[in-house]
Amino acid sequence: MIEDKRLTDTELEAITDRITGDWVSRAAVDFADAVAFHESLPPHKRFAAVLENAEAVLCQPRAGVPRLDEHVELLQHLDEEGGADLLPTTIDSYTRDNAYEKAAEGLARSRETDSSELNGFPAVNHGVEGCREVVRRVDAPVQVRHGTPDARLLAAVTLAGGFQSFEGGPITYNLPYTSAYDLETTIEYWQYVDRLCGAYTERGVTINREPFGPLTGTLVPPSIAIAIVTIEGLLAATQGVRSVTLGYGQVGNLVQDVAAVRAMAAIGAEYLPDSVTVTTVLHQWMGGFPRDEARAHGVIGLAGATAALVEPTKVITKSPQEAVGVPTAESNAAGLRTTDQVLRMLDEQSITLDGVDREQALIERSVRSLLDAVYEAGDGDIARGTVRAFDAGTLDIPFPPSDAAAGDVLPARDDDGRVRLLKFGAVALDDETKRIHRARLDRRADTEGRELSFRMVADDVSAVSDGRLIGRPGDD
Amino acid sequence: MSATDPTVVLGTIGSDAHAVGITLLDHALREAGFTVHNLGAQTAKTEFATAAADHDADAVLVSSLYGHAQQDCAGLHDQLAAAGVDATTVVGGNLAVGQTDFETVKQRFEEMGFDRVFSAQTGFEAVVDAVKTELDVDERSPTTTTLGA
Repeated sequence: MIEDKRLTDTELEAITDRITGDWVSRAAVDFADAVAFHESLPPHKRFAAVLENAEAVLCQPRAGVPRLDEHVELLQHLDEEGGADLLPTTIDSYTRDNAYEKAAEGLARSRETDSSELNGFPAVNHGVEGCREVVRRVDAPVQVRHGTPDARLLAAVTLAGGFQSFEGGPITYNLPYTSAYDLETTIEYWQYVDRLCGAYTERGVTINREPFGPLTGTLVPPSIAIAIVTIEGLLAATQGVRSVTLGYGQVGNLVQDVAAVRAMAAIGAEYLPDSVTVTTVLHQWMGGFPRDEARAHGVIGLAGATAALVEPTKVITKSPQEAVGVPTAESNAAGLRTTDQVLRMLDEQSITLDGVDREQALIERSVRSLLDAVYEAGDGDIARGTVRAFDAGTLDIPFPPSDAAAGDVLPARDDDGRVRLLKFGAVALDDETKRIHRARLDRRADTEGRELSFRMVADDVSAVSDGRLIGRPGDD
Repeated sequence: MSATDPTVVLGTIGSDAHAVGITLLDHALREAGFTVHNLGAQTAKTEFATAAADHDADAVLVSSLYGHAQQDCAGLHDQLAAAGVDATTVVGGNLAVGQTDFETVKQRFEEMGFDRVFSAQTGFEAVVDAVKTELDVDERSPTTTTLGA
């Protein structure tokens, strides 16, 4: 059974030997050479330092296209025209699935047709040198953003390639992203990723790690998301990671979102070791967007206001073309500027929201209950406990594509638009917490004159794209 | 068409892990009286063909939200035919990378053999209605599942 135990240097080397060879040579990911490359980068390209020394909320978009020159130009545009503080490299879905042959075909087609035939940057196919070229040619720190359950080779290549932040984790890049892996396997894979990050860190190159808080991006209750990213932070810390950014996906209710990010920061500070610097990220709305770009800017603006009120370390922005697929560079930059405008205007104001403290207390109590269940299931071992808790359903997420989660919890919005649980499954929440969730949902059912049903959930899923927050009947 | 409830095979194709849409569509189809076999996310073409043959499917619904649908769906109809499946085929989602005009995308997928092609903005009811029309299914009064704790 998996254990939350640090990999030895010998184990790290052996795994690196095993995963290289077919697509990337072992020599290409030479550790000493990689450290030297990182050390050659100027201070303003050092991800963790920029993040941890930020004096205002930093803005970072998502972006990735298959061809190297076009990708660099896209990132430069987002930096220069969008004002991005941190840059991404979003990886294509074939690479995320370790289908490097398909990624190679897509890259070749993209080059032949002078278009994008992949939905991201195939970093493994571009190799270490390709990644270094990206890092050299842009003028801000760059992070790998992906969704890869088995991210070992991707990590080896991109970290050797000069990227200094790596998103994801064994739960957040398993349950929402794949049906092919059990949790024990992905925890094992990510122990390698985290240990590799730890090894760089021990040699003076701090690699930031960012658990992916939004999960499936659809009505995820804050307590579940926060418990999961905290677990991933703990697993990373065991492997020597010293810079962790805990992530959370906006649900759209201002009070709940502000409470959630505050709760996440408090829980992170409490549970993660003192040796770890904990930062936070708010992901702008990850669900369906309105097709109308003016309305989409409204969604982005609300997310900007949320970020201004709660002041996470950074905010991941969306574009007004979110509903129609991969955005143009101009649209992506526009999302950054919309966010920045709201952040600047609200930075000059002092605003207090009623009800935040009460909601934060509810979230923190719920997170502690979930984490207690994990520790108990693992007899004190967080890795073992995670596997067992998900097996038992005491920790669970809504709408998972993965069989590694029961998927027995079902969320819906209450009458105020806060995300509550309609079905609890076996999730480890106390009776009083469940009573609060149910009472809030009953109030909505009364308001709408209908029973609590799956229809309510479906209405909520499409509500934002239809122009509001709560899926009320008769809104069509 | 079978004499019993019409049967639908449903899934997200290729390396795409989006599962929320098909979960909700699964529920909407069941409420409308269909028998649904939900193959889940990251479903290979061969799995669609095998499941459609095994369950004598009247319709095969393919979801794709990550932009690679054209690559993933290439050859699907050949595999369905090879498995002896004669079913209505429907595809929906974000079917191309970037800002391709939907009419162009629609034509591309119709040429591949799909009977109906939907954008990601299409509501669940519209998909259910389209499948009913394609299969010539009588209107049924929808049931609402009430959820307990």
